[in-house]
Amino acid sequence: MFDGMLLGLETAFTLQNMLFAALGCFIGTIIGMLPGLGPMSVVAIMIPVSLQIGDPSTTLILLAGVYYGAIFGGSTSSILINAPGEAAVVATAFDGYPMAQKGQAGKALTIAAISSFSGGTIGVVLLMFFAPALANFAILFWSAEYFALVLVGLSAISAFAGKGKVLKALMMTLLGLMLATVGESSLFHAPRFTLGIMDLQSGINFVTLAMGLFAVPEAFFLAIDKIRGKKGSSKKSQEISNLRINLKEAKAIMPVIARQSVQGFLIGVMPGTGATIASFLGYAVERNLASPEEREEFGKGSIKGLAAPETANNAASTGSFVPLLTLGIPGSGTTAVLLGAFIALNLQPGPQLMQDRPEVFWSIIMSMYFGNIVLLVLNLPLVPYIARLLSIPRSFLIPFVLFFAMAGAYIGQNNATELLLLLGFGVLAIIFRFADYPLPPLLIGFVLGQMFEDNLGRAMRNANGIQFIWERPMTLTLIISAAIFILVPLIRDWLTNKRK
Amino acid sequence: MLDLNRAVALALLAFSSGYAYLAFTFHLLPFELFLSVRPNTMPIALAVGGIICSLALLIKPQSSENETEGDGTVNRADGEYLKNLQNYNWIQGIALLVLATLYALNLRSLGFLFCTSTFLILGGILLGERRYTLLIPISLTASFLVWYLVDQVLTIFLRPWPGWFY
Repeated sequence: MFDGMLLGLETAFTLQNMLFAALGCFIGTIIGMLPGLGPMSVVAIMIPVSLQIGDPSTTLILLAGVYYGAIFGGSTSSILINAPGEAAVVATAFDGYPMAQKGQAGKALTIAAISSFSGGTIGVVLLMFFAPALANFAILFWSAEYFALVLVGLSAISAFAGKGKVLKALMMTLLGLMLATVGESSLFHAPRFTLGIMDLQSGINFVTLAMGLFAVPEAFFLAIDKIRGKKGSSKKSQEISNLRINLKEAKAIMPVIARQSVQGFLIGVMPGTGATIASFLGYAVERNLASPEEREEFGKGSIKGLAAPETANNAASTGSFVPLLTLGIPGSGTTAVLLGAFIALNLQPGPQLMQDRPEVFWSIIMSMYFGNIVLLVLNLPLVPYIARLLSIPRSFLIPFVLFFAMAGAYIGQNNATELLLLLGFGVLAIIFRFADYPLPPLLIGFVLGQMFEDNLGRAMRNANGIQFIWERPMTLTLIISAAIFILVPLIRDWLTNKRK
Repeated sequence: MLDLNRAVALALLAFSSGYAYLAFTFHLLPFELFLSVRPNTMPIALAVGGIICSLALLIKPQSSENETEGDGTVNRADGEYLKNLQNYNWIQGIALLVLATLYALNLRSLGFLFCTSTFLILGGILLGERRYTLLIPISLTASFLVWYLVDQVLTIFLRPWPGWFY
């Protein structure tokens, strides 16, 4: 194994490959900032360009750089303008954006970069040592377990269920699940709830809903209230762009990073779950583990609340390479696109890859590690400049926020209906915010809804009923965990209210 | 008088009821009647959950305390805006949404470059920007850069000019 690692290192650390990795990270970061162009789209777009290079290792190093860059770029737009263009970075906005509003944009971006780097790096180490064993573990997961895992992911809504908002959070989750049933599902091929509108046949676009729920209301509130967010933008640019994390903060996020790297990686290993569930679950777990005072900070700019999803989604992205490299099964959308790149390069990922082409196997792993390092080295110096975007006067910033949100929904679809839907969701979101309804549960319900229904449906079909819940120990354990995640905060709140 | 919380709960009840109607009347194919999970199984469960939840929100006593998220001096709770209507610039906010709607309606016919730069310029003017020598070049450059990146570099088609231009 160490020979293979050395071979991989030798390949990755040539001047040409280092330059391509840096270029990939830069391109990925810039394009990934545009809402709607997530890692999967960016990698897919870059494949034809990268294949022109010819050398498989260099091509894969460039793509790994693009991949990690795009993930970081997505986090940046989530943190700075509350515009999560991809499901995996929705949870990043929960605490990243409030931090930016408090004038801590630089710190938030630094924590995001360090958490992403740590999650990705620990993920690569786990990948190196445990890939074959984990691949066997992953195939033990059936629809029943996936359904239960999605349920645990949905329990993240408990994070927004505090202070008398339990029912509202639950209602928003149900609304998100209802919206997820619009259009065709992979289980039932007939379109549902489209009201005869052709554009809804393939369902509601994630970017349209996410931008409508988060970016449009933000632009509206910034427009009506000149003071809102002023603390963030009026601070001296040195303060906004300050990257420094003190020792206390570093100590606070270290255990979070350690836990979420392992948890995120394990979730990513299971085909089909990926970074989205990992990030929501990471957020929910860390909130439940936090002390009561720290828990109050979640959703208002908690560094733990930012570090958890950022670490988990990167570790899960790395974990999704396990089934691809060891079984030839793409575990996520991005790895499915990468599988296409492997095939175009005449490489067949699977059990034989490590034996027959060790130099390729290890150079892929080393290129992922290298992509992480380059991303950190390249982007940390850029953070102060990226953070200063918040110092832009509101008369420029607000139209640009709205424009980026709409461009995200329009690009690739060329469909004005998407924009009207986006604005419709935006107006609804403004009304919900006036009435103090939490919006993240709606998006969590929507993102996980399709997976929830598909896996529940398959599990029920296989078992011809719901007996799979008690017949499969892992399913039962996960469902009990989800129940605990939801019920404990509810009971705690109820007891607190009763004492008052 | 019906407060906003209850009005929203009522709207959610109406939505859930409409959804329930569509779920119950969903046209099933003959073979689907014998399946353990039908296309309307989960929608029915969600609709029932939605009706129960929205009814509970409707009849639940409203708490008088208004939670303020984060730093109250900067990020006041959104509900606060409705208590002091005159203190905020509603016209700017609503006009911005109207402008965005006009942008959405005209983007295809007027083309990306013209429509986007007009939106950015008018949006800036609407929000009080009067430095035209700065606003116009920035808007034009930003529109062109995004179009160039998406259409020319990433090869995702974005019609740059109005349809009659071709």
